Amino acid sequence: MIINDDNLKKELITLLDERNISLEGNLVRLIDPNGDEEFQTYLTTCIEKDKEVRKRRLEITKQVQNQNKELTILNDENVKIMQELQQTLKDMEDSKNHIELQNRELIAWKQDNERMSLELRDEMIKSENARISAENAKKSAEDDLDLLQKKTQTELIGRIVKVALYVIIGVGISTTLMYIFSMLTGKDTQMIGSTWSNMFGILLTNAFSIIGTIMGVKYASEKKDE
Amino acid sequence: MISSIMLVDDEDLFHLVFEDACSLLDISLSIKSLNSADEAEKQFKKWFESNDKTHRPECVFVDLNIIGSSFDGIELIRKINFEYGNNVVIGIISSSNEPTEQAKALQAGAQFWIIKTDDIEPRLEEFRNDYDGYKNRTGSFKIYR
Repeated sequence: MIINDDNLKKELITLLDERNISLEGNLVRLIDPNGDEEFQTYLTTCIEKDKEVRKRRLEITKQVQNQNKELTILNDENVKIMQELQQTLKDMEDSKNHIELQNRELIAWKQDNERMSLELRDEMIKSENARISAENAKKSAEDDLDLLQKKTQTELIGRIVKVALYVIIGVGISTTLMYIFSMLTGKDTQMIGSTWSNMFGILLTNAFSIIGTIMGVKYASEKKDE
Repeated sequence: MISSIMLVDDEDLFHLVFEDACSLLDISLSIKSLNSADEAEKQFKKWFESNDKTHRPECVFVDLNIIGSSFDGIELIRKINFEYGNNVVIGIISSSNEPTEQAKALQAGAQFWIIKTDDIEPRLEEFRNDYDGYKNRTGSFKIYR
């Protein structure tokens, strides 16, 4: 490629001198100076500048490439770690599900136990009630028996008292009648009088003794019940 | 200097590195960079069908594994060599150094294998020195380590 326009060449050279702006890229190498030494120098300068730029860019690109490789390795490691974490998470999730299942079983078991405890408690309450009822029945039966015994005792005592009183009254009456008969018939009353007196005293004493005994037995029975 | 080069690589940053290195080493001033093997195949198919030899590159650098493409670099080399004419200098530029893959590339018609490293310029410089042999089909398959 040949540039024939001298003004354009001068303009390009001035741009490089004054503003450090030059042609870049592979295109510069295709331009033929066509014997123009000044333009040849200009093209050489442009090519050198282009090479410098390319060298710098190449180094930077290589650095970026290396950084990319490192980033790729780090990314691979991160992916691996993420996979391990996900696996760990999955394992934990499985463990959690397993524990939850066990918990549910334990809760069900606990509920069964509570239900059974409640049933057992109900049964114990029923048993206790039955025991109390039985004890009450027993106590009632004992009371009834005691009452019956007391009644029987009372009746027996009553009979004894009655019999004793009848005997006492009978002896008293018969002795008194014999004493009266003796007095009316004018017979000797010395013996019968003493006998009546003694008999009457003994009978009264025995009567009160019997009553006292009965009262004492009754009092003792009441104290024992308390 | 190589009149025109095509680079097929999925890594955009490597396009910049390759273009600047080629320019600095005076390997070529005309570089066309593509991201996909499918796109490259499409271009070669078009040039082959229209018998267009002016736009076809003189040399092709192909990455081994081109992410986002339906086939790999070796398959692209095979297609370019055996389906769309074999008038180009073609080879692999990859970070891989697998002998089995290198053998496959050789079978597919690759003429060179450049191993991508951080410092690519010395390998490209060596390649530039060997280029005439590849162009004349006299150079044997070479791996640039």
